[in-house]
Amino acid sequence: MDDHRTIADATAVVLTGGKSSRMGRPKALLPFDGEPLIAHIVRRLGRVFAETVVVAAPDQELPTLLVALVRDQVAYQGPVSGIYHGLKAATKEVCFVTSCDAPFLNLSLISHLLSQIPDWDVVVPFWQERFQPLHAVYRRSVAPLLHEQLERNELRPISLYPKVRTREIHEGEVRRFDPEGLSFLNMNTPEDYQEAVDRWRSGKSSELEINGADGISVSVELFGVARLLAKTKSVSLSLPQDATLASVFSALTERLPVLLGRIINSDGLIAGYTCNINGLDFVRIPSAKVNSGDKIFILSADAGG
Amino acid sequence: MYGFHGRLLHVDLSNGQSFWHDLEEARLRAFLGGIGLGTSLLYDYAPPGVDPFSPANPLIFASAPLVGTGLTTTAKFAVVTKSPLTGFIADSLSSSYFALELKRVGIDALVITGRAAGMTYIFIHNDKVELRSAAHLRGKSPVECESLIRAELGTATARVAAIGKAGENKVRFATISNEGRHAGRGGVGAVMGSKNLKAVVLRGDHATEVADPAGVETIAGALRERSLGSLTDKYRKIGTVANLAVFNRLATLPTRNFQQSTFDDADALSGESLTENNFSRRHGCAACTIQCERLFKALNGEEQRLEYETLFALGPLCGIDNPDVVLRAAQLCDHYGMDTISAGGTVAWAMECSERGLLPQTQKLRFGQADDLLAIIPAIAERRGLGALLAEGSRRAAIEVGNASEYWAMHVKGLELPGYEPRSLKTMALGLAVSPRGACHNRSGAYEADFSGDVDRLQADPGRGAIVAASEDYAAVLDSLIVCKFLRKCFSDFYGEGAALLSKVTGWECSGAELKRIGERIHNLKKLFNLREGWRAADDWLPERLLSETLPTGVAQGAGLSANELRQMIGGYYRARGWDDNGFIPDEKLNELGISL
Repeated sequence: MDDHRTIADATAVVLTGGKSSRMGRPKALLPFDGEPLIAHIVRRLGRVFAETVVVAAPDQELPTLLVALVRDQVAYQGPVSGIYHGLKAATKEVCFVTSCDAPFLNLSLISHLLSQIPDWDVVVPFWQERFQPLHAVYRRSVAPLLHEQLERNELRPISLYPKVRTREIHEGEVRRFDPEGLSFLNMNTPEDYQEAVDRWRSGKSSELEINGADGISVSVELFGVARLLAKTKSVSLSLPQDATLASVFSALTERLPVLLGRIINSDGLIAGYTCNINGLDFVRIPSAKVNSGDKIFILSADAGG
Repeated sequence: MYGFHGRLLHVDLSNGQSFWHDLEEARLRAFLGGIGLGTSLLYDYAPPGVDPFSPANPLIFASAPLVGTGLTTTAKFAVVTKSPLTGFIADSLSSSYFALELKRVGIDALVITGRAAGMTYIFIHNDKVELRSAAHLRGKSPVECESLIRAELGTATARVAAIGKAGENKVRFATISNEGRHAGRGGVGAVMGSKNLKAVVLRGDHATEVADPAGVETIAGALRERSLGSLTDKYRKIGTVANLAVFNRLATLPTRNFQQSTFDDADALSGESLTENNFSRRHGCAACTIQCERLFKALNGEEQRLEYETLFALGPLCGIDNPDVVLRAAQLCDHYGMDTISAGGTVAWAMECSERGLLPQTQKLRFGQADDLLAIIPAIAERRGLGALLAEGSRRAAIEVGNASEYWAMHVKGLELPGYEPRSLKTMALGLAVSPRGACHNRSGAYEADFSGDVDRLQADPGRGAIVAASEDYAAVLDSLIVCKFLRKCFSDFYGEGAALLSKVTGWECSGAELKRIGERIHNLKKLFNLREGWRAADDWLPERLLSETLPTGVAQGAGLSANELRQMIGGYYRARGWDDNGFIPDEKLNELGISL
């Protein structure tokens, strides 16, 4: 993907100030992958976005975070206030807004949302009959309208959408990047939390794949039968530094098990399929090294005809 | 004789007479069937220098040894003649039930010469040959002809190959069509039209005996099984339309008359999108396990077959991004019986010239304009207005228009380029430049090297010559046995397995080396025919645009091909072929191949 540049020009805004009433304890502090959930989210977003802003409640307890931290004036005023304060604190023109309880972010989908913003003020997914305002991209220029909403006590973010140029990302469009909509999976109850932890541990949905010090990121583009099976055009993967095509195949089949046995098996690509790296090199051998930022195409070995 | 009938039928339309001639085994063993046999007969039957539209130009339908053996993908036949588009050999393949019936009428080849006084069709029923009036079929599409002729003859199993209005009007890229398939390239339908021959109709009961039926079945069974595995996934699950998205990503998708090699709206036209949004039915040739054909739903409710080449030529090449428009344009080409590649290529040339103000503005042609495309196709078939000019193909049209418009005519030897961008597929660039039938992706699979990783597809070097030559010989064998190219990946040792199969069919003791040599012989004979018809070194070349402009977009941005690079690759090719530096075949080479003049 060419989206790293776009993301570098954007701010990530994380809202943490919810009540956590159904959870029974502060969501931001729930242990997740060996650290508080908010630290986990912020650390991973920080690898991708040029800037991260965390919006917290006035007296909310948080771990030390190396981010811009802003606090709502009024506790538990809701997401409109959180978004408003996040946009106000951001220095970039475009902000991706999320909440601290959605760990299964997906870089491909986020990149797609960001790629739409040049012609719009808000880019928001519509998933399972609902807008997803806390997984959306906002232009900073909408902040005054949010402020007016707060003054009118209009506390639902969707009240903003008819007033500005809003790009709705419909469900089918979302599925191209995130077939199961895991990006919108958040945690409201202890059961949700346990399920998320299990899912995370099973390694099936480490969806925010980013290029960090401890690994590399690559994108895989699927063509032909692979695309039809996976019902998606591309996925991003985070891999260890010394990753090879074998690592790509392994991570890919974890993400998209439908490819197992049909496109990829334990030895690599099955007969009839091949890889191309960055549009230049055709490679099939699993030991081939891959580098951060590589774009790996999986296609029929029988090109032409 | 096993695998063959050992005879041909010659029909002279001028006097209505028919003759059966023996086909000697030595010729069949030297050239097999299909394209090889057709080329051999063309060399003998065509008077040197014959005008393609002359009654003397033979139109040859050739069967092959594997046809009718039950081996998957072998229901194919060749049509060979002198091309009205290129002035060189036209060798086209088509397939399905007509192919099986051609063998069943008890001949290995049908040679048609002469010109009928009025529109005629030939009905061959085993050993009976009948010339019947086709006056009532004038203007009908090939599909309409098929049902009308069957009704008229009272036989639902008669197999029909017919021309449409484009063939009748001698559009130089008209096709011959059977069962919705086409002998597509080089204008074989125009030659048929020039003979006032609307259709060839077959009904036969002759069986073909093979030398070792059990041995054939063993090999056929193994290939059948392999043909249903992942090696043919692409063809079985999507079809050739799968190429479009890949080619776009690899920057090899010719767009707007080769102005660029990526198309912004490729997603909408991709095989994957078509499969999700327009798919109607999977279909295939007779006796084929792969069933690669995809029928898509057109806006008028009818099903339309679509292949990558049609999709590319009537889509990105003309700047069209709407699949419904491409499907409609494909319907029109099929209805009139026109090669979609040459139609798209010629229209794209005209769009470019029109936008540059080089064409009379009476009929507008603009890239991306659906109405323009859909209006010009019938005009070409009926030779109306600007269509009369375009019916001549891009080379002749450009010469007629002048004003340097030849720069934008994307053809080799007069045959419009297929959907492979030469600047980002350098082996293919050479393959297209030197192919005897002009810019052709079927008589060599040179692109396979570019897509394999064995070579750097963006770099040119003289070593590509040997790759192209080997690819041409391989294709010549496939096209003469005949085995569909979509089965090619299922062979682990094509020449060895092919020779074993041929031996069991014919009873010959044939080796892989002999088969390979046959491929080389066939290719050399094609070249020899072209040499006789006036081939010059300048004919092995690419359009100037490709040698002057670099690719502006995509992963191959900046890639170009210089005249010097092309010249060096061609030199390497001539050396690999054992030809002289100017591309002529030395006598020693002909002797080595056993070609006697």
